[in-house]
Amino acid sequence: MLIRDLPYADPGVPDVRSGPRLLLWLGRRQLRGQAKSLAWGTLHMASVASIPVAVGLAVQAVVDRSGERLALAATLLALIGVGATVGDTMLHRTAVSNWITAAARVQQLLARRTSALGATLTQRVAAGEVVAVSTGDIEKIGWCVESVSRFSAGVLVALCVCAGLIAYEPELGLLVAAGLLLLIAVVLPMLPRATRRADLQREKAGRATELAADTVAGLRVLRGIGGEELFLERYRGASQEVRRAAVRTARMWALIEAVQVALPGLLLIAVVWHGTGLAMDGRISVGELTTVYGAVTFLLFPLRLVQEFAMAYSFSRPSAARAARVLGLRRAVEGRGDRGAALVDPVAGDLHDPVAGLLAPAGRLTAVVCGDPDEAGRLAARLGGHDAGVEDGESSGDGDGGGGNGGGGGDGAAVVRGSGAGTGRAGRGGTDAPDTARPAPPSVLLGGVPLDDVTLARARAAVLVQDKDPVLLSGTLRELLDVPASGRVPAHEALAAAQCGDVLDALRQGTPGLDGDPLEARVTERGRSLSGGQRQRLALARSLVTDPPVLVLDEPTSAVDSHTEARIADALRRVRAGRTTVVLTSSPLLLDHADHVVLVRDGRVAASGSHRELLGADPRYRAVVTRETDDELAEGTTHA
Amino acid sequence: MIGVAPPAYDPAAPESATTLPVGSPATVRAYVRELVRRHRRPFAVLMVVNAIGVTASMVGPYLLGTVIQDLSEGADDIPLGRTVALFTVALAVQTFFVRLVRLRGAMLGEQMLADLREDFLVRSVRLPPGVLERAGTGDLLSRITTDIDRLANAMREAVPQLSIGVVWAALLLGALGVTAPPLALAVLVALPVLLTGCRWYYRRAPRAYRSEAAGYAAVAAALAETVDAGRTVEAHGLGARRVALSERRVREWTAWERYTLWLRTILFPTVNISNMLIVGSVLILGGVFVLQDWITVGQLTTGALLAQMLFEPVGLILRWYDELQVAQVSLARLVGVREIEPDAGEHALAPDGRDMRADRVRFGYHEGADVLHGVSLDVPPGTRLALVGPSGAGKSTLGRLLAGIYGPRTGEVTLGGAELSRMPAERVRAHVALVNQEHHVFVGSLRDNLLLARTDAGDTELWAALGAVGADGWARALDDGLDSEVGSGGHQVTPAQAQQIALARLVLADPHTLVLDEATSLLDPRAARHLERSLAQVLEGRTVVAIAHRLHTAHDADVIAVIEDGRISELGSHDALVGNDGAYAALWRSWHG
Repeated sequence: MLIRDLPYADPGVPDVRSGPRLLLWLGRRQLRGQAKSLAWGTLHMASVASIPVAVGLAVQAVVDRSGERLALAATLLALIGVGATVGDTMLHRTAVSNWITAAARVQQLLARRTSALGATLTQRVAAGEVVAVSTGDIEKIGWCVESVSRFSAGVLVALCVCAGLIAYEPELGLLVAAGLLLLIAVVLPMLPRATRRADLQREKAGRATELAADTVAGLRVLRGIGGEELFLERYRGASQEVRRAAVRTARMWALIEAVQVALPGLLLIAVVWHGTGLAMDGRISVGELTTVYGAVTFLLFPLRLVQEFAMAYSFSRPSAARAARVLGLRRAVEGRGDRGAALVDPVAGDLHDPVAGLLAPAGRLTAVVCGDPDEAGRLAARLGGHDAGVEDGESSGDGDGGGGNGGGGGDGAAVVRGSGAGTGRAGRGGTDAPDTARPAPPSVLLGGVPLDDVTLARARAAVLVQDKDPVLLSGTLRELLDVPASGRVPAHEALAAAQCGDVLDALRQGTPGLDGDPLEARVTERGRSLSGGQRQRLALARSLVTDPPVLVLDEPTSAVDSHTEARIADALRRVRAGRTTVVLTSSPLLLDHADHVVLVRDGRVAASGSHRELLGADPRYRAVVTRETDDELAEGTTHA
Repeated sequence: MIGVAPPAYDPAAPESATTLPVGSPATVRAYVRELVRRHRRPFAVLMVVNAIGVTASMVGPYLLGTVIQDLSEGADDIPLGRTVALFTVALAVQTFFVRLVRLRGAMLGEQMLADLREDFLVRSVRLPPGVLERAGTGDLLSRITTDIDRLANAMREAVPQLSIGVVWAALLLGALGVTAPPLALAVLVALPVLLTGCRWYYRRAPRAYRSEAAGYAAVAAALAETVDAGRTVEAHGLGARRVALSERRVREWTAWERYTLWLRTILFPTVNISNMLIVGSVLILGGVFVLQDWITVGQLTTGALLAQMLFEPVGLILRWYDELQVAQVSLARLVGVREIEPDAGEHALAPDGRDMRADRVRFGYHEGADVLHGVSLDVPPGTRLALVGPSGAGKSTLGRLLAGIYGPRTGEVTLGGAELSRMPAERVRAHVALVNQEHHVFVGSLRDNLLLARTDAGDTELWAALGAVGADGWARALDDGLDSEVGSGGHQVTPAQAQQIALARLVLADPHTLVLDEATSLLDPRAARHLERSLAQVLEGRTVVAIAHRLHTAHDADVIAVIEDGRISELGSHDALVGNDGAYAALWRSWHG
């Protein structure tokens, strides 16, 4: 795979049974690349290992005062130079390609898995884990997979050099080989400690960054009320802790480096000592002594590769385990719902929730008033169907996975860890348990068809639920509004209906080099540069563009001022004419525009009628929508 | 085609306006000089320690050269014992100092990095509130996270390692010159190749690496957004588009990887050829010199070994120079904050009384585009004034002027006769506080979250403040009381509790005037109702300017100002305005039925 052909058309099905298996799977996807890297690496290191031979030849030639053999040494050195240069460059190219292709493959796999998981990911730890894999772990995984071939090339050449030395001068060769083994035996056990310290340091650095980011995020509060010094001191403390941890890590590395100087140095001394004796006895020549000296110095090079691989593996193991876990996440309801049911004409069907006894007639604007905002959220989610309720993932399986997924809480669909390769045993275990423990509540019906029995994609296309906190995806305004849609409502109409005029102005000012077309203005991540009310209106415009047969809006204008809200309420009716709309709200301005209003209390429909009817007839309703206190209610209607 | 052109799309190009300045080269240079000056003693120690270590490392080649010399002369009595003893002593010294160099280098680097990040935060918390309000915190946030991360390696390693490399290379060249002066000249053969190649590379590399890093960050950012927007992605059926976006990001990123790989495809041979030229020219030219009897075999051996030792410092210099180049942009962004004038304010200026007055105020965020067109307003102490009106009419802007965050373009806003915008921020906030929708709960203990408002407050006062806003119930239920960790990572407080914390801070800070920018609008209506009671406690006895999105807030106010198009169109009490039968009255009827 060449870098220029990325991304992969199909990143494949990863082996997610464990971290090491994922690493292995990745390595096997790029066997060709690994082979190339191994070949070039061997050429490179063999060339570098031969430099001492040329040096020895040259020294000997000079001792023998032979210009001819000096020229020969020069030629050899030139050849070695070509080999080393080509080998090094190509090794680097192939190794980096292996790294990038492995990293890109995992990124693509993550993107696919994330999209498939959708809403279920917003819960609990899963979201944090996905981001951690994408930002930090992939680099380490790529590094580990890539370093295998370099490590192999290094070991191969080192073995050859040792074998050559042994064959050539057994005593010297054995001395060098023993020295190397000793060196590896001393250094390798020190590495885990160093990596542990490095991990600790990273953790502290992460915490300091978090503190700094947190302080900056709340800077307006600090500047407005005070306490800057308090928070500076806190950050200084954290920053100094990072520094101390880093110095502690450096202490370990300094020690390792010293060992790497001392032990090979001792080996060199032994070689000089023993070799000079041999040379004095005439058993080896002066040039050969120089070669042996150089060869020992060279052996440090593959040694570093051994060390690097050991580190890469120990750093990447937890990363690979986490990646395997994330790539193995499955929707609890994946596959369920495909019971062959089909929605005949979603536009013409009434939306009926048997649990609350709520009926939203086709083509009408129904407003729902809930006393409790959490209850409103639950109701909105249920109206969309495919709402799996609370399902705990598998409790068995790998030990560190359970902690993340266990524990109840939260609503909506849950995430289950299953195995990727289709064995599905763990996944099924996760979905079966809740089914038997507590029967799922009856599904919402659209035109008489249970939404849960329709495929997820069809159900979502028929009923769009805009939750209380819709997220604006970054990109241009045009991209934001470019969602799968019926095409009936053009972008400008939706923007006008949601009263987005001032939002367009704000976006235009925030985008450099924008000429004219406000649709090219950029929305930053989550629309952070906009106010809460502006974000709500853009999200509403997006939902209006989609123009789904059924639109469920949960508090769509809670952060919008009354003037604007009144205009939105008016436009909403117009744009949604002939379509089914359910608005969960307690704002009189919206309620006044609804075809009919339903009051839900304790999960059941308690009253229904028009806004004005209910306002006059139902004191509970009046309490929720006018926000009068109980005292005022007792006093009677003072502001009628 | 030979070579790879830089990709057309540059992910490092700014997409949103950079709101804060980026440091000029002069500022960056001045800052680095200051940083080095601050640490000149450890720096000098590092250089000395390094020099000793490098010198000790040259003893080996020197001794081997002597041995070779003796051997080639056929000497019988080589002082082997003495050689080995010397070698061992030199090794011990080298080992000791190598460890010291590594450690000292890290200590110096870490200290510099710590200074840098602390300096940045010190500067950031001194920024004038007006600058913050206008620029937002996004730009600052990306500087303190992304840029500090990118700088970490450069600061902690590049500066010390680069200096080590330079000293190292210089000492080796010096030793080569001392061993055999002609050999030092032979090294120079490699110089033109090295310089030409590096020049080509460094002209292109910094920008390319910046784009590459930005491209990689964009891959992760796209994914993080898909995760964050999971519900929205599913509801709108955007899954396939998100996958396509991620793949586009991968393509853009790898295009830059391919380009930088091409840059290194030139750099690597350059370095390799230079290395081989160094060894080759020393060895072959040196060989010829020996044959000419200009130098001895021993000198040649020592020279050749020293030449090989040059590989490492040369590699060190190239690598860290590279890193430093890439880091420069991040450094400029961090140092840029220093270019903003901290707001000076006139310390002599103090309000006399609590009367707030706006007089023919005109103000705009951009030249020639005023948001407020001559607003005059009088807020006597203890008044509750509500500002209502459509979005974009200028309510929030007027609120910020009344809170002293911005100064008017013409006209003036005064508190007790003193102009608010000319007072230092610390003075202003003792009198006036702006409460907006941002109820930031800081990571840390509940105590720290409250103490920021009055740093010398005792626990009794903190509990009293929590009690005043009705938050003592849940706060007492926390495991560690005031020491409980809140904010992200700690106990998750609900939005309503976050708001109560914000209100408790106000009780502690105790300003006599509050500007409320629809402080409760992001909350659920039910929660808001409950909070309004807490808020009422806090507002008791203070002057209040409330920017109201909800009409019931306006209804309770003493005076209502309806703002339309940057002007006050209606002004009066609720009853008076309803009686006037204007815009407010129409809205009220629709609201209240």
